[in-house]
Amino acid sequence: MTRRTWVRLDNASNIFLAARTNADPKVFRLSAETDHDVDPHLLQAALDTTFDRYPLYHAVLRRGVFWYYLQDSDLRPVVTAEDQYTCAPLYQADRRNLLFRVVHHRRRIVLEVFHALSDGTGALWFLTDLLTAYHRLRYPAPGRPVTDDGEPLGAGTGPGHAVPAAPVAPGVPPGDAAAEPTHALSGDSFRHYFLRRRRQGSVAAGSAFRREAAPATLTAEAGAPSSGVAPRGTGARHSRPRTKVYRATGTRTPDNRTRAVELTMPAQGVLALARAEGVSLTMYLIAVFFESLRRSSGGLGAARTLAASVPVNLRQFFPSTSARNFFATVRVDHTYGEGPDDVGSVSRQLDGQFWPKASPEALERKLRRFIRFERMPVLRILPRPLKDVILKLVNGGSNRGLSVAVSNLGRVSLPEPAASHVGRILFHVTAVRPQFCAISHAGLLTITFTSPFTETAHIREFARMLTARGIDVTVAAARVTEEELAEVGP
Amino acid sequence: MRRCAQCAVDVEGHWMRCPLCAAPLAGEAVPSPLPAVPLNFSRRRVWKALFLTSLAVILASFLAQLLFRAADIGLVRSVWLGLTAMWLVVLMAVRKRRNVAKGTVYLVVLIGLVCVYWDYLGGWDGWSLTYAVPALCAAAIIAVLIMVRVMRTEVGEHILYSGLTVLLGLAPLVFLVLGWVTNPVPSVVCGALSICALVVVQAARGAEVRHELAKRLHV
Repeated sequence: MTRRTWVRLDNASNIFLAARTNADPKVFRLSAETDHDVDPHLLQAALDTTFDRYPLYHAVLRRGVFWYYLQDSDLRPVVTAEDQYTCAPLYQADRRNLLFRVVHHRRRIVLEVFHALSDGTGALWFLTDLLTAYHRLRYPAPGRPVTDDGEPLGAGTGPGHAVPAAPVAPGVPPGDAAAEPTHALSGDSFRHYFLRRRRQGSVAAGSAFRREAAPATLTAEAGAPSSGVAPRGTGARHSRPRTKVYRATGTRTPDNRTRAVELTMPAQGVLALARAEGVSLTMYLIAVFFESLRRSSGGLGAARTLAASVPVNLRQFFPSTSARNFFATVRVDHTYGEGPDDVGSVSRQLDGQFWPKASPEALERKLRRFIRFERMPVLRILPRPLKDVILKLVNGGSNRGLSVAVSNLGRVSLPEPAASHVGRILFHVTAVRPQFCAISHAGLLTITFTSPFTETAHIREFARMLTARGIDVTVAAARVTEEELAEVGP
Repeated sequence: MRRCAQCAVDVEGHWMRCPLCAAPLAGEAVPSPLPAVPLNFSRRRVWKALFLTSLAVILASFLAQLLFRAADIGLVRSVWLGLTAMWLVVLMAVRKRRNVAKGTVYLVVLIGLVCVYWDYLGGWDGWSLTYAVPALCAAAIIAVLIMVRVMRTEVGEHILYSGLTVLLGLAPLVFLVLGWVTNPVPSVVCGALSICALVVVQAARGAEVRHELAKRLHV
């Protein structure tokens, strides 16, 4: 008899649904490595309390006649051991299931999210709360009441232990998301900011505060050092690429799973390399990525332009407490053979392109255009399957202009007791083209490469370029091909 | 940790060769942070192929009947069409099994069309519109009402489709008015049943219907 609450899907999420394929189910993964083998029962208890605080994560995706929508559900998430390949599909039409999963393997706690539900920042809030709740249960502080209702939630709670419905200690801030009581199944920030009237003043005033408050932003770590150094003027003269954009191809994995390779390295060393060139970390890494693609491609041929798409977290400019998708992408490119092509020059050139495009004004213009497009009366009354076809075409068109995608969630700061027990944090997303995602915690920067292809030559070049510059790199890879899997036996 | 001398990187997991450059590794292995998941070949692709093939065969055999329209092939036609229709029913019932009310709407429409086509192939006696379609619609209304009770389907999940089933029950009345039927009784019975159901749905579930419509039809 309950009448379920529902919200329509936001601007960015619709494209994820249209662009999803077998090889790229638009799922991303955040994982955190703790200092002991994960206790599934405690993790389930922590998940239950965290889940109660995030109504958005209760949602299932439904199909209307004209649009998709998110609808509240009574489903409960269950923690499982990791038995599927990374970022296995989460959403299947007509099947009502939650749009995220929490799994564990050895010392890792893994959160996988369907991208139409949330973006990296939103999911990081959830993971932060989950890790905090888990470590509070695992390491109960002596003398500190763990829950408000006095029930000890300490280690040693048995299997099937019933968790009180109240959130874990509401008085204790769960990380940066503390300001928000819950992450409700509402609030499409795209429409809030970009649909109607211009918002004056509040953007500039809010952004400084928000830069501090946002748990993870693209620029929190990467942007700051470069702000005074980057030659911002150079971006203005950038024009359309004159040559074809290079697009990597390769052998598909046998069952369409994502090829993921993780590189772990000390954050300080790489940051110092970027600082030495006077650019942000993200732009430096993109320049290295471009160079490694150029080296591994065996000659770019006629397609001498490499282009990267970089998502920018909009919450830093347009304050929002919504965990739903709220980002825009910025495209940067470099054409080889038209001037200095060393990593330093390329990174400075990319940096000059990036910052003007990632300014609040430029992003607002872009987003308003998108929203206007989405709200066109003709488009609105098209049935959903037709919309999907159109969005697929639009997406395919923009894909043709991109070689790679790069996403950097920046430095994560976890609250205690999670901070001292969690080591590296990792982040990656299924990809239709070679891609990497970076995130750092506990002084460790992890760069995870994903690709629909089995080839790893570009990752090899990337790792070798870093090691040649004196960075210690550790590699971990999931097995994807038959030969690789045969090595470990059934 | 194992080490690749070529790439100068440490490698986690029991790799014999470097995952980046395939050069042999040296050193003690540490456990991999990522599990080795066996390859899986999805049954979904098999189902999809079976579904599309079935649909093609069904469609082809319905169309093939047009070749024998004039000829009197009697029993052969009945067996042939009967088998094909059964196949279609099973196919759609399996495919739409997750929402019984939705599946019923699909079946009513499909079987209705098959009956009309069958009648047309046999030289149009009007039996399909007079008897088959009203019986089908009335049975569907009763079936949906029973099934959503027995299966405890949530109101929001079935209300639009059960509403649609009830509305389809009004179609025989239209046939009656247009004079397409030879015996008015089945149409009248089905129409009356449908109107009763409609009144009940509107009175008891009007608000839910409007909520569902607003949700599914928002532009």
